[in-house]
Amino acid sequence: MSKKFMERIIGREELIRVIEGLLGNFQVVGPRELPGKGVFYQPMKNARDIYLGGGFTIEPVKKFFLSPSECFFEQKRNESGEFLEEAPLAGDKRIIIGARSCEARGLTLLDKVFDSDYKDSFYINNRKRTTLIGISCDSPDKDCFCTSMGGSPTEGRGMDALIFEIGDQFIIEVISDKGSDIFGSAGSELNEEQKKLWESDKKKRKEALSRKVAVPDGLDKAFGSPYWERASSACLSCGVCTYLCPTCHCFDLVDEERKRLRCYDGCAFADFTLHASGENPRPTKKERYRQRAYHKFDYFKKNFGENLCVGCGRCIRHCPVKIDIADIVANAPLDKES
Amino acid sequence: MIEELRNKVKELFASKRVDVVLGYQRAVDGVSAKPLFIYNQEDAERLVWDSYCVYNLACYLKELAGKKVGIIAKACDVKSIAVLLQENQWKSQDLFVIEVEEVKPSAPADKYESVRKLEAKSASERLKFWEEEFSRCIRCYACRQVCPMCYCPRCVADQSMPAWFSRANSLKGNLSWNVTRAMHLAGRCIDCGECERACPVGIPLRDLNKKIEKDVKELFNYEAGSSVEQKPLLSCFDKNDPTDFIK
Repeated sequence: MSKKFMERIIGREELIRVIEGLLGNFQVVGPRELPGKGVFYQPMKNARDIYLGGGFTIEPVKKFFLSPSECFFEQKRNESGEFLEEAPLAGDKRIIIGARSCEARGLTLLDKVFDSDYKDSFYINNRKRTTLIGISCDSPDKDCFCTSMGGSPTEGRGMDALIFEIGDQFIIEVISDKGSDIFGSAGSELNEEQKKLWESDKKKRKEALSRKVAVPDGLDKAFGSPYWERASSACLSCGVCTYLCPTCHCFDLVDEERKRLRCYDGCAFADFTLHASGENPRPTKKERYRQRAYHKFDYFKKNFGENLCVGCGRCIRHCPVKIDIADIVANAPLDKES
Repeated sequence: MIEELRNKVKELFASKRVDVVLGYQRAVDGVSAKPLFIYNQEDAERLVWDSYCVYNLACYLKELAGKKVGIIAKACDVKSIAVLLQENQWKSQDLFVIEVEEVKPSAPADKYESVRKLEAKSASERLKFWEEEFSRCIRCYACRQVCPMCYCPRCVADQSMPAWFSRANSLKGNLSWNVTRAMHLAGRCIDCGECERACPVGIPLRDLNKKIEKDVKELFNYEAGSSVEQKPLLSCFDKNDPTDFIK
């Protein structure tokens, strides 16, 4: 982080040309709008397909680092018998464009889980082989609350470069060597006037975010409260909130077709933590929803010093029944320990 | 209007006829509605009813077995309840239905227009279409959870010994899941559209259900949810059935 890179300013056509130049040499993933369906990260074939609007992708960038179904090993057979073959690590260098600050920050939280005491070779390899180029938000959604979670729509944590669209120009904040490899010589350096413009633009982006959420300290005081039953009553027990969350990382090990896979799991599902005996320590929605709230705003904070939430608002925006975790946690009854 | 509705709910609690009433309340954004579980007269004050109340509240009945339940029901919810009663999932004496009229968008001229467009495609074009749609499926099972008719205590998708289809997020598993879900709703889906609304990635699930609904209508002159008295289509037979295998 100590190394300082210069910001660059380029026009729209030049940005497209830079992306076009990448397409021939790397696998490039970027946001694409599917009419009537939303914005999705997809492998890019044409640089002009890139979506540079204000909308957010439905799925976060997480899936490119923590795959929904990661194969660990495969059982094989040869003349001398059966053996296990470890799944190879993907080697291709890859460029992902379009991540928002919250999604990239989500990766810095996942780093604490998958690249700390425990080293997950798949996750770490995906982080290493990827250059992550962010796009700063200028039109936050009503469900966004990143600034309340210690983030900001203009921060570049977890990224290699961050793009700010200002008028018909793009200012590129180069954050790492990987980012510099792509944008180091693109366009020109910012002059004093452009620097001022960028600073005031950044301020505007932060101020555009209106929702503020206060997560109370000492949430554990509310653990035994009947509040969680009421708070979770409308939950459908689907996987929308957990699967679309940039930080949720619970998984299940699944054996199929002679392969061992690590598949996403989610605490909202009824069979989350269901034991083979039939016992489930989280038998109802109350315990499962509370698990989600506490993993994000209590346990993770105790273990790693930060909330396991980046305020991207996806779980609220896409919840089929409008359950709002920020509201639920902010209103938890800390004085009613029982 | 809303006071009348609140009073009806309060009356159910006053006369001790219900344990819980399903209704709607305002969401945090101040505009949308969200489901409300009403446990007492005081809760009833939070009730709202307007065009944002889109959910099919009958989906919560599967988890309320053994309770006496009141439900604020628009046309789709009423139809869903009819199917649940027909399939012996509920006893009518345990259910108190408060019917409400919804502000309906004008009905389309041809309900099956999108289905006809799909029917006009060749089989391989159709497969390509659905493969593209299902490739986005994230297997969150929101379509299942939001459906009033998906009440299996242990869904085939959750079974692991044996696993009936791939749990991995792959096209093969996604295709199996979505087709299984649609087929299990044959003659039962009342086309409330909740699966499609709940789907976060915009898969047109309703077209899949409507195709089956259309076939059921054309082949058997049967409409799910139109009456509690009719026998469930795929759980009964007719002596006059034109095919031989059933006789």
